[in-house]
Amino acid sequence: MRIAVLSGKGGTGKTTISTNLSINIENSMLIDTDVEEPNSHIFLKPNITETKSVKVEYPVVDNEKCTLCGKCGDFCNFNAIIPAKNTVLVFQESCHSCGGCKMVCPTGAITYSKREIGKIYEGDTKFGIKMKYGELNLGEMSGVKIIEELKEITKNEDIVIIDSPPGTSCSTVAAVEDVDYAIVVTEPTPFGVSDMKMVVEMLREMKIPFSVFINKAGLGDNEVYEYCEDEKIKIIGEVLFDKKIAEYYSEGIPFSTKIPKYKKLFNDIFEEIYMEFRK
Amino acid sequence: MRIAITAKGEGLKSMVDDRFGRCENFVIFDTETKETTTVDNDAKNESGGAGGKAVRILSLNKVDVVIAPELGPKATEGLKAFEIKAYKKGNSATVEEAINNYNENKLEEIKFSTVEEHSGLRKA
Repeated sequence: MRIAVLSGKGGTGKTTISTNLSINIENSMLIDTDVEEPNSHIFLKPNITETKSVKVEYPVVDNEKCTLCGKCGDFCNFNAIIPAKNTVLVFQESCHSCGGCKMVCPTGAITYSKREIGKIYEGDTKFGIKMKYGELNLGEMSGVKIIEELKEITKNEDIVIIDSPPGTSCSTVAAVEDVDYAIVVTEPTPFGVSDMKMVVEMLREMKIPFSVFINKAGLGDNEVYEYCEDEKIKIIGEVLFDKKIAEYYSEGIPFSTKIPKYKKLFNDIFEEIYMEFRK
Repeated sequence: MRIAITAKGEGLKSMVDDRFGRCENFVIFDTETKETTTVDNDAKNESGGAGGKAVRILSLNKVDVVIAPELGPKATEGLKAFEIKAYKKGNSATVEEAINNYNENKLEEIKFSTVEEHSGLRKA
């Protein structure tokens, strides 16, 4: 079973909720797919046992065969390959490795080479669960390939908690694709609610069952409660806006290990989702 | 010879745009016919690689020289590959002033990228 934890706005507490959830589920595994800024490992402190390089392909043009017809440049939506006067320019980091330029090239001048865009780290945590996280190299445009690989190498695991990238970008879609359930973390502020609506729309479009988790409850206003009621969205849990929790966060300690009532909350949440999943 | 200037509006009276890849328009002045045309810069809305695409637009419009405020690394590389010369706009405020300054040899040629990658994106 795969559960994605996501949010519209950055900083609402995806990592807080996903790490606390996973350490309270026996034999689960957490994958951090927020590859531009992974931080679950700060809380789970894994002992890294394996590091893997993630590579993508980019086109290489054989100038002998190339007739500068321009078809590759017309095809590429990302301006990664640009036929000029005497040569073809390739901007490797703009390439999405779709393979289209090779297909449209009439003279077979295009082949592909590989380069590293980031890494995947794996390890055991002291909480008894395993974790894997991806990290995109600086200056790279897209971490989708790393996210797809993270999901591929964990597809046979029983229970996977996915810490997703914020918002509704390509990366987020890649992270939540094919999950069984999603938890949308939000905070009860106007920005939190407004950004959450986009995520709700995305999940409905993708036909993924979901519920909402309110973090920092007590902060802000009631809009999120009214919205969830109007839209018939279940609020699966709540964590209070609490200075103590913020302190644990700043020390890199999952707060449910310190506050028993929250340990129970995460247990109950998982149970509820699991029952729904088995139906 | 055809000179393109990054422009916020249309025609000779337009202000020079502060970006290259993401400028509004290119105003193109033909030194032989003395005609001016305004070309929409289709590259401005690209999610990435605007500089490279803008260079392609200039090439399709048979531009020989471009006058711009700054150039990023991809744009510089692209202009070189298309054999289009680039000049800094200097103190020219309008397209017309830029053309006059160019004709009077007052503009400095850009041979290397003058700003970092994605600078235009940050400005927009």
